Amino acid sequence: MSFVLECRKIRRTGFLPAFLCGGLLAAAVPVLNMAVRSENYLKLAAPPVQILMNANWQVMTMLNLLLAVAGACLLYHIEYADNAIQRLCTLPQKESRLFFGKAALLTVMYMIILALEAAGIAFCSCRWFELSPDIWLEILKGFGYALLLTLPAALSSLFIASACKNMWVSLGIGVVGVFTATMLPTKNFTLSLFPFALPFQSFAGTAENTVCHFMIAAAIELIVIILAEVLFLKIRRSFA
Amino acid sequence: MNFLSLIGIEFQKIRRSKITLILTAATIILWLPSIINADMNFEMQAEGISPENNFLIQGLLGMAWFMFPASMVVVTVLLNMTERSNKAMLKMLALPVHTAGLCLAKFVVLLSLAAFQILMAVGMYFISAGIASQTQDYNFILQPTFVFREAFLIFAASIPMLAFFWLLSVCVQTPVFSVGIGLASIVPSVLMINTKLWFAYPMSYPFFVITAEYGKLASSLTTAQVEYIPWLPVAALITIICLAVSCLCFGRAERR
Repeated sequence: MSFVLECRKIRRTGFLPAFLCGGLLAAAVPVLNMAVRSENYLKLAAPPVQILMNANWQVMTMLNLLLAVAGACLLYHIEYADNAIQRLCTLPQKESRLFFGKAALLTVMYMIILALEAAGIAFCSCRWFELSPDIWLEILKGFGYALLLTLPAALSSLFIASACKNMWVSLGIGVVGVFTATMLPTKNFTLSLFPFALPFQSFAGTAENTVCHFMIAAAIELIVIILAEVLFLKIRRSFA
Repeated sequence: MNFLSLIGIEFQKIRRSKITLILTAATIILWLPSIINADMNFEMQAEGISPENNFLIQGLLGMAWFMFPASMVVVTVLLNMTERSNKAMLKMLALPVHTAGLCLAKFVVLLSLAAFQILMAVGMYFISAGIASQTQDYNFILQPTFVFREAFLIFAASIPMLAFFWLLSVCVQTPVFSVGIGLASIVPSVLMINTKLWFAYPMSYPFFVITAEYGKLASSLTTAQVEYIPWLPVAALITIICLAVSCLCFGRAERR
């Protein structure tokens, strides 16, 4: 119910085209990169998906993250802009349902843009590398992993957006978060657990043990963020 | 009302916006890794750059490539949202003031906030260089005139970029698009500075200028240097066109 409502709310905000354009742009990154300087990559001795991910994943993640931050800000901005949030608060339902509806919408959008990017990577591997039968499974695994690791960043920017009334404050905090993530070294495990730094990890070429650790960490972060949001809404309501 | 009092009013409007907190937080985060990894500055002998120069340049590179442009996108959102909420724009258009003046006053505020952030970054540089000098037992603090010259270069090079961001936020009514295009346009600047057409892409100017400075300071590293002839006219043209179009479009949606 809440999810359907959210889908209707975003109709005239440009949210959907923005995500589609962002996804297409990110999917174009590996294609353009291969088209311009494929000779740099064809010589490397590694599985094609790993080469492509190493070469392009940083830029693609950056775009994804910026899209998540801007999208989350917009989702709450439409509630705060004309005091719609006050009407929502008077409805006989929990305030956290709004958050879950928006989170579900953002997750679905993320699946779509990651699918676009996966298609881009798959196109590159078909076009420039010889095809091996297990490549589809590898891409599927890689992007499932990427989805799980991106969700903490998306939900935490949604959390920030729900907490701040003004769009520029939530956008500013999100941008500072993404900037912090770019400054952190990706090799350090503890520092990579920062929600905005998690998506920069890629599945291809990572040891199975590390992958497991990251997945557990992402799941824990998701639970913590959701609990924090529910708690935050309760506290804000009792003091407002 | 003259232009100066318009600017004063614009500054009053953003007084309680907490934007300076966000801009300052970004500059603090910018220099923290430099303090922690200060010993890595001694391993840059291959590039032929002295540790103290490297300390400054690495920080400025981090600032010019993402932090500074992204913060400026946030500032444009702030300048626009204060007018969009509660129909403030309509009230402003009812005043006997030229709309182009209002638009330019807001742009001046944007420029001042950009200067504020760069000055904060310079201030933070002196603090962090002082701390790094203490921990590493080596003098990292450079001549203030040199540091301010580099900072001014970033600021001057960023004016066309700021004009473009301002154009985006004025002309694109849906906030998600103006923010999305602004943020997404920052990402390719790393690729653009390596091409011949860098001067046609205003978002890459600050990063290009600092990369060129890096090439000057590092003796064994050659980076593309600034060529004034295609650049300055193109940059001036972009700035003028962006400002002119944004002055024309300012408040257009509300005036219909």
